Amino acid sequence: MLRNILFNDAAFEFVKVFLEWVEAFFVIYLIGYSTFLFVAVVTGSSSLYKKRRQEKLKNTINRDYFVPISIIVPAFNEEVTIVENVRSLLALDYTLYEIVVVDDGSSDATSQRLIRAFDMKPIRRPIQRKIMCQSEEFIYESVSGKVPLTLIRKKNGGKADSLNMGINACRYPYFICMDADSVLQYDSLSKIVKPVIEDANVVAVGGAVRPANSVQIDRGRVINYKLPSNVLACMQVLEYDRSFLASRILFDKFNGSMIISGAFGLFKKDTVIAAGGYDHSTMGEDMELVVKLHEYCVTNEQPYSIKYATDAVCWSQAPERLIDLCKQRKRWHLGLFQTMLKHRKIFANPKFGAVSFVSYFYFLIYELLSPFIEIFGILTMVLAFLVDLINVPFMLLFFGIYAVFGSILTLTAFFARTQTIDLKISPADTLKAVLLCLFEITLLRFVMAWVRATAFIGYKKKRLNWGRIERKKINLK
Amino acid sequence: MKVEILIYGYLAVCVAMIIFNIVCIFLFRHNDNQIVLYSNEFKNRITRHIKSGTVDDGHAQYLAKKLRRARNLMAFDVTLGELDAEYHDEIKSYIREMTPVFVELTRLYSHKNEIQAAYFPYIIEKYRLFDSENAGVIIDSLYELIKSPSLYSRENALHAVYSIGNSKYVIRALEIVNGNEFYHNKKLITDGLLSFTGDKSELNSLIWEKMDEFSVEMQTALMDYIRFCGGDYDNEMLKRLKSDEYDREIRFSAIRYFGKYHCDDAYEQLVKFVSANDEGNWEYEAIGAFALANYPCERTVDVLKSKLGSRVWYVRFNASQSLERLGLEYADLLDVFDGDDRYAGEMMRYRLDRKKLFAKGET
Repeated sequence: MLRNILFNDAAFEFVKVFLEWVEAFFVIYLIGYSTFLFVAVVTGSSSLYKKRRQEKLKNTINRDYFVPISIIVPAFNEEVTIVENVRSLLALDYTLYEIVVVDDGSSDATSQRLIRAFDMKPIRRPIQRKIMCQSEEFIYESVSGKVPLTLIRKKNGGKADSLNMGINACRYPYFICMDADSVLQYDSLSKIVKPVIEDANVVAVGGAVRPANSVQIDRGRVINYKLPSNVLACMQVLEYDRSFLASRILFDKFNGSMIISGAFGLFKKDTVIAAGGYDHSTMGEDMELVVKLHEYCVTNEQPYSIKYATDAVCWSQAPERLIDLCKQRKRWHLGLFQTMLKHRKIFANPKFGAVSFVSYFYFLIYELLSPFIEIFGILTMVLAFLVDLINVPFMLLFFGIYAVFGSILTLTAFFARTQTIDLKISPADTLKAVLLCLFEITLLRFVMAWVRATAFIGYKKKRLNWGRIERKKINLK
Repeated sequence: MKVEILIYGYLAVCVAMIIFNIVCIFLFRHNDNQIVLYSNEFKNRITRHIKSGTVDDGHAQYLAKKLRRARNLMAFDVTLGELDAEYHDEIKSYIREMTPVFVELTRLYSHKNEIQAAYFPYIIEKYRLFDSENAGVIIDSLYELIKSPSLYSRENALHAVYSIGNSKYVIRALEIVNGNEFYHNKKLITDGLLSFTGDKSELNSLIWEKMDEFSVEMQTALMDYIRFCGGDYDNEMLKRLKSDEYDREIRFSAIRYFGKYHCDDAYEQLVKFVSANDEGNWEYEAIGAFALANYPCERTVDVLKSKLGSRVWYVRFNASQSLERLGLEYADLLDVFDGDDRYAGEMMRYRLDRKKLFAKGET
């Protein structure tokens, strides 16, 4: 009936043909995504099981002094968490490292709290400017802890600028970038350097970032693991396992990682400096750096490899309010857009091999464009409904199967992770994971698609801010 | 293609994944339970034998049969670890009596998949299952593992060889690593050699005999090991320090050696390295400047002061560090602070300020 009112025969025919094309596109699109998801989860899970077996059968190399590491902690208005976090860094199970905190012109007492807590002394330290960054206002040092601690207070310039200052000031050949409100697990450094010991060509290693909401941590050790009581945070735990953990393990198999989280990554200093350091002008400076490293190494014919250490763990607070999650995802999406645009040279470029034809292509279609494609899909469903060209029961069945498929893969990734690192999951948490994974894939995913699709509205205004969200303190004992 | 087929395909994958998850959960639990079970069983049997003072053939056969499975070997590892703490001497003689079993297992595990293959050499090293006298029969199996593409197999096998304590075996193992196509971090070699349980001076002599046959990477690893071992090799190191026929990495290693062990004969060459203003080879200057801290005299101070104005950051940094290590104070460095070179003054002042502030701290 509605069809007759809205469309004449010619228009109806056009819509029919249009919908047939849309259907064909979505069949291919979904087969592609489902296959990727399946391969990623199977590869990720089997890698985790293999790693567990290797650990049990002593296929390990734990040396805490082979690779000297500088930990760079960029901080902006972190007075609440900074002291506790530096304390947790000082308690890491590693011998040869230093900590460099870069205060990016905070308006609170971030620097003062550190100075007081660690008996830091002012010093005029020359810094070799290998990468451009804002100038320092003062420098403090302390050797009262297990390893040297440096505080550099500089003019405000953003997170990338702070990291560049840290790179200029740090002494060791490898550096770790992390967030000031994250906590590294006690063994994270010895785990993240393993790929460097195993392969001389490693220029970067990504660590595994896990939501710490409701997790109790004592001196870097998890003493009580629970799924977050907050539903939103809990869904993110599941999402992290499926989307980040599994897909990054898969990309790792062919040196195709394009993201190392800004919350925890290890880099070879010389190569990063040669590539130009962090880019001040993008929101996703972490992804931009990794893509830049690919481009730099391939262009200069430098053998390289970018690895992912699934067992090097960093605990970070996931946003618990929807508004904060939206802010975070908008930021990530804009960062992705800027990076893809800046390094478009990689697209369909045979010189870059799998990085171009698998990783870049995946990020373009299934990350950058996916929110638009998904919203377009919903709109065409509405159109098909209006012209009575949709089989509603079949559509619901298809959607249901897709949701179950996604949920089971999510659970597979979740159980693979928790089992392989011997985390005890209570029956209540197991039930929670089973129930929430359905909501995550059906509800949260579409909300996030909308958020990401609208990320570009007003993006120029927030280009260089720190993108702060309300976070709770990590439960440190 | 009909969409229904796609849906059935999805469903099949879902069912397979559910089965996979359930099987994994049960398998893990079952394995953990089995390890506890076998560990208790091994404990009872071994304790019985230790207390009775005799080991019967039946026990050896039982062990040879059970330890073929990696899971049981893990249980055995747990048991031995616990008993070793309580009955150290008895466990030592028990291991000796069980040698035929371990010989068989070494061969067996060397042919298993690479994860399991890496495990047995770990056990060999941990409990010193073999020594120089009885390792001849298994050494070839360890050499085979050193050729493996798996870093863990290679590294565990190397450690097993170091634990045997025979210098010749170690040299042969190093030759195999040297000939391998796989990357083996040189720090692992240096560190591993330090755990060698035999006669180190005999090993070091053999290393020097063979040194030039190894790759540059291996030579620097061995020279670093020698440096950590002790300072009895001035002549060999001097030869490398002075001759430009050697690769620069080898010469850097020699400079570091003389930075640790004072040798009058090396001094002129070190000064020569540091005084050269060759920016293309600034590493000689930088490492040399660091080494000169071990040669306190007026000339050293003058050479290092002249390097505070170097265009290369690392040279300035190391020169200032060495001047600080030589014990110079503000008054001794007035010419640097009053000079035209701002960078030299800044670097030196930083070192001295730091030393003053953290009198008890690190370097």
